[in-house]
Amino acid sequence: MASIHTERETLAYGGASAGLSSRWAVARSTLALAFRSIIVFVTVFFLATLLTFALQGLSGLSPAHLQLSESATPEAIAALEHEWGLDLPLWQQYLNWFGGIVQGDLGRSWYNGADISLLLTSRAAISLSIAGLALLIGVTLGAVLGITAAKFQTTWIDRAITTFTTFVSVLPPFVVGIGLVAIFAVWFNWFPSAGYVPLDRGGLGPWLSHIWLPSLALSMEAVADIARQLRVGLIQASRENYVTGALVRGLSSERIFWGHVLRNGSGPALTMLGMKFPNLIGGAVVTEAVFGLAGYGRFAADSASRGDVPAVQGVLVLAIVLVVAFNLLVNLLLVRLSPASARGI
Amino acid sequence: MLRGIWQLRAGKLSVLFLSVIILLAIFGPALAPYDPLVGTDHVLADPSAQHWLGTDYLGRDVLSRILAGSTISVLGSVQVAVIALFVGAIPGILSVYLGRTFEWLTLRLVDTLIALPFLVFAVAVTALLGNGIPQAMLVVGVMVSPAFYRVARAAALTISRSQYVEAAILSGASIGWIVRKHVWAKILPAIAITLANTMGTGFVVVSSLTFLGIGVQPPAPTWGGVLASDLGYLNFRPYAPLFTTVLIVLTVLAFNLLADVIRDVSGESGRALLIRREKKRGRTARQTSATIPPTPHGDPQ
Amino acid sequence: MTAEIIDRLQITAAIEREGEPVLRLDGVNIRNQITGKDVVRGISFTLKKGKVVGIVGESGSGKTLTCRAVLGILPELFSVSGGTIDLLGHDVLSLEPKQWTQLRGTSITAVFQDPGSYLNPSMKVGAQIAEVIRTKRGVTRQEAKQRTLELLADVRLRDPELVYGQYPFELSGGMLQRVLIAAAISLDPKILIADEVTTALDVTVQAEVLDLLADLKERHGLSLIVVSHDLAVVAQICDEVLVLRDGEVVERGATAEVLRRPKHGYTRLLIGEHHLYGLERFLDAKPTTPKPRLVDSRPILIRAEGVCVSYDSSTSRRQALKDATFVLRQGESIGVIGETGSGKSTLARALIGLVTPSAGQISIAGEDITGFSAARWRDFRKRGIIQYVFQDPLRSLDPEVTIADTLAEPLLLQGMLSKSEIRDRIYFRLDQVRLQRNLLNRFPGELSGGQRQRIAVARALVTEPKVLILDEPVSALDSANRVQILEILNSLRANGTSLMFISHDLGSVAGVTERVMVLYRGSIVETAATDDVVNRPGHLYTRLLVGSAPTVTSIGSIDRRSRQALREQLEAAS
Repeated sequence: MASIHTERETLAYGGASAGLSSRWAVARSTLALAFRSIIVFVTVFFLATLLTFALQGLSGLSPAHLQLSESATPEAIAALEHEWGLDLPLWQQYLNWFGGIVQGDLGRSWYNGADISLLLTSRAAISLSIAGLALLIGVTLGAVLGITAAKFQTTWIDRAITTFTTFVSVLPPFVVGIGLVAIFAVWFNWFPSAGYVPLDRGGLGPWLSHIWLPSLALSMEAVADIARQLRVGLIQASRENYVTGALVRGLSSERIFWGHVLRNGSGPALTMLGMKFPNLIGGAVVTEAVFGLAGYGRFAADSASRGDVPAVQGVLVLAIVLVVAFNLLVNLLLVRLSPASARGI
Repeated sequence: MLRGIWQLRAGKLSVLFLSVIILLAIFGPALAPYDPLVGTDHVLADPSAQHWLGTDYLGRDVLSRILAGSTISVLGSVQVAVIALFVGAIPGILSVYLGRTFEWLTLRLVDTLIALPFLVFAVAVTALLGNGIPQAMLVVGVMVSPAFYRVARAAALTISRSQYVEAAILSGASIGWIVRKHVWAKILPAIAITLANTMGTGFVVVSSLTFLGIGVQPPAPTWGGVLASDLGYLNFRPYAPLFTTVLIVLTVLAFNLLADVIRDVSGESGRALLIRREKKRGRTARQTSATIPPTPHGDPQ
Repeated sequence: MTAEIIDRLQITAAIEREGEPVLRLDGVNIRNQITGKDVVRGISFTLKKGKVVGIVGESGSGKTLTCRAVLGILPELFSVSGGTIDLLGHDVLSLEPKQWTQLRGTSITAVFQDPGSYLNPSMKVGAQIAEVIRTKRGVTRQEAKQRTLELLADVRLRDPELVYGQYPFELSGGMLQRVLIAAAISLDPKILIADEVTTALDVTVQAEVLDLLADLKERHGLSLIVVSHDLAVVAQICDEVLVLRDGEVVERGATAEVLRRPKHGYTRLLIGEHHLYGLERFLDAKPTTPKPRLVDSRPILIRAEGVCVSYDSSTSRRQALKDATFVLRQGESIGVIGETGSGKSTLARALIGLVTPSAGQISIAGEDITGFSAARWRDFRKRGIIQYVFQDPLRSLDPEVTIADTLAEPLLLQGMLSKSEIRDRIYFRLDQVRLQRNLLNRFPGELSGGQRQRIAVARALVTEPKVLILDEPVSALDSANRVQILEILNSLRANGTSLMFISHDLGSVAGVTERVMVLYRGSIVETAATDDVVNRPGHLYTRLLVGSAPTVTSIGSIDRRSRQALREQLEAAS
């Protein structure tokens, strides 16, 4: 017949065990889960900084390239490298650098000796304004499109949204950016095509009008990904048996959709958001070039061209911290959303 | 699988378009009507009979620059995909067999690679290492390798868990036999899909890097470079980015379309789809057994 | 006060009286809108208050579609194309979604097979029941929780407070089915549809669920529709039974009458299968006395001594099999019976080397397999002395390999036969499992479930094994296919092949086994001739097992109260 006698070995006697010990087991497994995910995130952070640090060794660059002339004597180079602590063993250099990161000290630039943390702060404000707004647009528009497509499944509305998201998902951000500039800045002249006005200087209006187009360009990929993943997730969730179960128990289909399906179906989209977040942070390199903004993306590209390794590392560390923190948040949300999936980690 | 792709209109379309792009990559530089590096007094000209796509701010023929720049973009994307395949697939398979420690470590490495904003990283590495696009593609290849790691790992997990593999083991099959008879056919479409997708990604990355002017020396023609110079003179020629943009978008779209088509025609559902289509055309093409020929006169009963 | 409301009140009052019809189907047709065919034709029956109607049929017979039509949840492609359904005075076919929401839960509701999937996986089960009570009754959170706890206790869950706060994945199948039943009766519905509720549950758990349903019917005055592929399950609690085949009712009547004098051939087949191969075969026979044990002189094929298997997880070590000792002789057919997690599958997997025993010794055909290296195992397996048939042929046959290549694989691995010899061998086995040769170029996905299982048997047979181990070989099949497989296996026995049946259900293999080994929590608690196990079970668990097995005769089965007593004794003992 349609069904098969299934083995459910581990839980067969779950009911027989006493309540107290079972409750303790749940608490213990929750703790173990928390511990495991903390280990995961710490490891990822460690590995990512290690890779970032390795850039210096791989590039073979030193401050001598920037600060001394080609004819500098080996002694002069050695003295300079000693001054920067580059004659220490690699592991010690890494520990020094990592120790600095933990305290928020990203070191000094080889180019002009300035404090990188300080250099980054004002630039990060620009990039993060854009990334933040892009995230907001991505989540809101993506959710609206995804939910609409799922609710009007197989109608022309669904088809239109799916076509739009499929198309948008293959557009590289700089192509979207150029398109937006050409249309809204050059053609219609509605928004400025370049530049930035800080929030505390020009107020909300100018600030928004300057970051609106870059954010929109940056968000398109997120919009498409979230909308598509959410649509699939919701449609799949709405076909699950528990929807039928809730229906025959007397809940209305609206209530089931908003109360049960939405919650269970949004897990994959949330996972996707966590995975794509690095693109949102990293996309700054390109969008800032398109819109002539002096954010950390531009800073990274310029510093890299100059061979200013610590400055590039600083940007990467900032990005890694943001990504890891965001993913930690996503993971916590996922565990809240579906406790069963947490067992799988 | 190849025949299946060709049978679908979308498959035919994407294969044809990608062939054109590949031909461009090979013969493009030779086909260029003008020297892509030499400027003229004819700056920022609109399209005309002489300059089909007009000229840029140094008076260089845009069409020639696009044709000459096609090689680097296509080569780059192929390189990304191949490197990602090797860097990702091998540890992906090993992760199932080499014990918990190796598995945990590779999984964390994959997490790390996903967590790194790879465009920034690619920019940093390319510029700092002071090398060209091939070196940058090496880095990008490693950074997108998690896709292959996952595909390969999923396939290896299937092998170690599925019951038909267990059944083969119970008949005395070796790992090699199992891979040949039961695994290869299933992993191939997944690898092909990921390859197509990764090539699309690689294409975007090459275009992005060249757009930023990273990895190439300034006069060298690239698609991204053409776009960047168009962008600077948008007020004069607002339509200028259109052609390059369309070219880039169509190429990426073709790669993604190809991946989708492979997904559609492979596996059990793909077989059903193709059989349905062949029935519609009144043809019967059945895969036949390697050992047992179909009985000529039906069954004996 | 309009006349309409008065009418409605009178109808309701009439319904409340004992024996009044609560649900009436009249000539109902259900159409598949794509093919335009009616897949259910002319179904009529009446369900009266406090009564139980059973619907029996194999998958695809239309029994589930009929239930879904009554509940107003037909899948999108299907629609009711004729007839009327009258539910407590409402014309079901003209109800608006809003009215449906009002009716479901309060008037009619349902529970299904695979109960875990019918609960939201990310919500605590208590909250799910309470949500329904809160939205429909408009009570406070506290009251809803109180009522939920009462319901959980009502379905005999041991620790309602604990279960309330658990997620579906933390509960066993039997517990989930109780939770689902508790949720179903939370709004005091008049009608409960139980669609294959006991399928896939252990036999003892199945009996518990059926007992619970019967109990609720009596205490709450519920009217039940019990749907099952198994006539014996329906026979346990139904007053009236409908046999469905290909969308039509082929037999109907009072349960006892149908069981005693079936009119239609299909019903006779269903009942006959039980008498031929089920427990009934032993129960029907004249009371027997234990036969004196004869010395069995057949050569021993498998000898297992003190075999233990334990699974290690990061936190604990679980003994899945404890000290198993037995022999299997040439041409002998033995049943290995036990509930989920009893160690029966572990025992089988130890015999074929898929798990390594932590202690003990196993020898097969004179060879000690306990210390085999991987290479030795490969060589040994290639000889094909011992073969294994998996429970689910769909998973054990490679979906992308043709039937011919699947059947040829073991022989190609042996590498001893020429192509034409392989072909002859395959043709021979194909004939033996009664399949036609034109299936050879098909893929598993293109075959029916029964055909697939026969292919799986044929694959196991191509190497001409001495021992065949079968893991739940017929659990997933419908009656006709089950009989066919069992007949094939019987003919193998006659040819001297030893068989080992693994099953959770004594009834499904009793007819083809000489001896039965009962496993309980990792230990073999009883080994005896099948007749003795059925008629004179020794161990407490075996008594409950035999007493729980649904049969189409009443002889020998025990009543609800004695079953409950046995359960309590068993629990006290462990």
